[in-house]
Amino acid sequence: MIAHRAGTPSFFGEKHVLAMCVFIASESIFFLSVIAIYLAYRQATLGTARANLDVTRTFLFSLLLFSSSATMALAARSPGPRGRRWLLVTAGLGAVFLGGQVSEYVRLLAGGIRPSSDLFGTTFFTLTGLHGVHVLVGLVAIVAVAAVSWLRGDAVRPTAWESVSLYWHFVDAVWVVVFTTVYLGTFV
Amino acid sequence: MTTAEVAAVPRQQAGDRYALWLRTVDHKDVGILYLLTGVAFFVIGGLEALVLRLQLAAPRQGVVDPHLYDQLFTMHGTTMVFLVMVPLLIGFANYLVPLMIGASDVAFPRLNALSFWLTLFGGLLLYFSFVAGGAPDAGWFSYAPLAERAGSATSGVDYYILGLGVAGAGTIIGAINLLVTIALLRCPGMTFGRLPLFVWMVLVTSVLILGAYPAFSAALVMLFLDRHLGAHFFDGAGGDPLLWQHVFWFFGHPEVYIMALPAFGIISEVVPVFSGKRIFGYRFMAGSAVAIAFLSFSVWAHHMFAVGLSTAENIFFAVSSMLIAVPTGVKIFNWLATMWGGRIRFTVAMLFAVGFIAMFLIGGLTGVTLAVVPIDWQVTDSYYVVAHLHYVLFGGTMFALFAGAYYWWPKMTGRFLSERLGRAHFWGTFIGFNLTFLPMHWLGVQGMPRRVYTYPAGVGWEGSNLAATIGALVLGLATLVFLFNAARSLRGAPSAPADPWDAWTLEWATTSPPPTHNFEAAPAVRSARPLWDRKHPDLPDR
Amino acid sequence: MRPSAEAIADLALVVGAIALGIFLLVTGVLLATMWRYRLRPGAPEPRQIAGDLRLEIGWTVAPLLALAAVFVLMLGTMREIGASLPIAADTDRIPLRVTVVAHQFWWEYRFDGGAVAANELHIPVGVPVELDLVAADVIHDFWVPALAGKSDIVPGKTNHLRLFARQPGTYEGACAEFCGVQHAWMRLVVFAEPEPEFDRWLAVQGAARQAPAGEAARGEQVFLRNVCVSCHALRGTGAAGNGAAPDLTHVGGRTTIGTGVLRNDAAAMRAWLADPQRYKPGSAMPLVRLDPGDLDALVAYMESLH
Repeated sequence: MIAHRAGTPSFFGEKHVLAMCVFIASESIFFLSVIAIYLAYRQATLGTARANLDVTRTFLFSLLLFSSSATMALAARSPGPRGRRWLLVTAGLGAVFLGGQVSEYVRLLAGGIRPSSDLFGTTFFTLTGLHGVHVLVGLVAIVAVAAVSWLRGDAVRPTAWESVSLYWHFVDAVWVVVFTTVYLGTFV
Repeated sequence: MTTAEVAAVPRQQAGDRYALWLRTVDHKDVGILYLLTGVAFFVIGGLEALVLRLQLAAPRQGVVDPHLYDQLFTMHGTTMVFLVMVPLLIGFANYLVPLMIGASDVAFPRLNALSFWLTLFGGLLLYFSFVAGGAPDAGWFSYAPLAERAGSATSGVDYYILGLGVAGAGTIIGAINLLVTIALLRCPGMTFGRLPLFVWMVLVTSVLILGAYPAFSAALVMLFLDRHLGAHFFDGAGGDPLLWQHVFWFFGHPEVYIMALPAFGIISEVVPVFSGKRIFGYRFMAGSAVAIAFLSFSVWAHHMFAVGLSTAENIFFAVSSMLIAVPTGVKIFNWLATMWGGRIRFTVAMLFAVGFIAMFLIGGLTGVTLAVVPIDWQVTDSYYVVAHLHYVLFGGTMFALFAGAYYWWPKMTGRFLSERLGRAHFWGTFIGFNLTFLPMHWLGVQGMPRRVYTYPAGVGWEGSNLAATIGALVLGLATLVFLFNAARSLRGAPSAPADPWDAWTLEWATTSPPPTHNFEAAPAVRSARPLWDRKHPDLPDR
Repeated sequence: MRPSAEAIADLALVVGAIALGIFLLVTGVLLATMWRYRLRPGAPEPRQIAGDLRLEIGWTVAPLLALAAVFVLMLGTMREIGASLPIAADTDRIPLRVTVVAHQFWWEYRFDGGAVAANELHIPVGVPVELDLVAADVIHDFWVPALAGKSDIVPGKTNHLRLFARQPGTYEGACAEFCGVQHAWMRLVVFAEPEPEFDRWLAVQGAARQAPAGEAARGEQVFLRNVCVSCHALRGTGAAGNGAAPDLTHVGGRTTIGTGVLRNDAAAMRAWLADPQRYKPGSAMPLVRLDPGDLDALVAYMESLH
């Protein structure tokens, strides 16, 4: 397909990987915009955040998401049956993290905090919700790669593993920033 | 179905042909789909503008009711920005970039088709609002809290959010595709120092899209949550309406250059060819675009000098906005230097290119006056701004698009446009444009605010408004001449050779129109003007 | 001290002259190039020049210098305008403070001491007037071009603008930020008048309505009987309104109806009251059906409220 290509093949020399990197760059702008708004309203929301967020519990769930980056790296290293198992472990960890987020939402909603209640509800649910949607998309992509690789007998291009892995690391990295901003920010 | 199969199917039945357009993933077909979409929306957006001008031809008219007027000016601006200029420029980029860099297609042909269909679907979604209770009515930049549910009760703004969100996703995907294409699919010898300037501009534009559009998507999500979940991002009761403006213009000003840079690229292809001279200061042309791109992310609050920012903020954004005039000036001077000492053929494409230089110059200079904070305090949100932005976007971008249309028409269709009708189109457009928008500067200085559906008599605005309306009608007629010219040409027999203009870039090295895979033999280049080298073996470019 | 509009006009003239000079220079070169290097029979093959570093530096630096000059001029003007805030440096007058509340689609002016006026602002000549600008609903913009530059009026934020009139006169303006369906008829007018005249006007605006007589007295009853009172205040009658519609205590003294849409006289008032949506569709003023006798009485009452 690629008849001729200038330059030497490298990490960025593969079109799927480069496209994913560029996509991630644009996604970063998306999250930075929402985080900027969160920070702009920080003074107005800090009191509610301190009174209602369960930092320790969310930290434990966050550890699961962070460790899923490691299992993802293991999966991407060996595309095949072995890697597939690691993919499923990654997806499992991501799913448990999402479950933690859902339980946090349920607790807050029960306490009367919702997107319409005040600026904290508005910014908290938006920022963590948008991240959650990205985790969900990542889960679907991981399961898709695992399923296709299983059905087609490992005929999935390594670049697909590579791209999904990049995306997952990105989702993970965003959570580092979001967790720091929203949860650890309550200590400052 | 692959593009090869598409081309192999005999194109006899009309139904089959339409199905081919629906299925195609060939970058040239997708490019033409973008261009057709842009032209269709240009006609719609132009008709909307004509209604606005008829309403304003004289004081206290009742051509349309006030609420419809608000919908029409909102849709006019939104259409022209998101559904005309961006699709037209991406259409040219789609068609030309692979040809110019000697590739057989873009990096992701199917994703490319998806980009187009998302753009078209976004546009249709936006227009569906008219039959779903009312079009958006809060202006193309949808300032909150007017764009909140309390300020705009119909579902129009929701269609604005959804339509532009979908079209924007298509634009982001398209930018990724173009960027990867330019990065990885250049033919042997096509270094970054030899890229045609149009490709350079598309590259920089892609980066701008990727930096700016996601911020807009985020703003749209937040506005949607305000409207539907009762969130308080921009509502003025807790939330700060100015944050919407900050995020919107963080996107909105780069968006201006997303519309301008590819236009610069077109001019940088047309002017050298018809001057018979290579572009003057190639590196400075490419470098100035990079400078503009960087600066364009730091000028957004010059749209907000009147909102009550601090003096320090005002001065910062004044300085950054003034600075952006420098690389823009560099471009204009280099075009002049390219023409100087040349042998200028005044084809219609060249007429539009020269018209572009003069009109864009006016838009640029009034832009500098708007960067001067106290002057901005007087004329912002007045018709002066309407004049300024149309000199940039119509006198600038649209003139460049017309130059590109006349220049690449033979390549895309294998036919010529009539130069005689083209000259009528040019002069009609040039005169109509200036008659419409030059008096608007004066209207703004006299105190006429923008976005008013009518105005009182006896305050001295009648003459200029009437002139503007007459000018708009002239513009409309000139556009009809263009459409007629295009239709007539398409009915004629193919007559265009591979290289009708004695041009130099790779798209002219293949037939008109090019075959599915663009080039019979994979090209290799040794300079920015491969065809020049071929025609002048004694005097090749370095 | 002078109106900031004059300072801005001076600056705009200089900047405009520079811009015009650049425009003439560049288009002059463009036209000359077009003429001189047009295709002619026998014209030689042009020399292929890649560029010239000195020229590039030249046309980078020259605009920078012009912009630097513009920047310095801009700072001077901003200083002059800014220096007059918040206290006038060169007048010994205590500035007059007015709170401007911008509504969809009308203006409310609140003075220290309780005077309230709607849509038409009077200011004394030669006295700086400080406006505190607040919005009741969406973003508006206060713009009287002959007196000062504009300032947006943003919900949740108080902006400030100084007016200073050197000459008595009528200064027209408008809301300059699109604020909804009747943005066009959110006109502004400022009457600058000698101080004693202004003081009299202010005293009137602070007072309750003059008790009506004859038909106007009947009109007051019509006013109080109908839905008018649910929105409009009319001091002296007990009608307190809801703050969302103009105070009518001295409506007869205003020159226009509907924030500029009609000139204020009995005939126009009658037409307006009979069908406000015909003249200002989309404004909050509803159609209230009155029989002709009541309407006449109401018109007489409104016109009596000076």
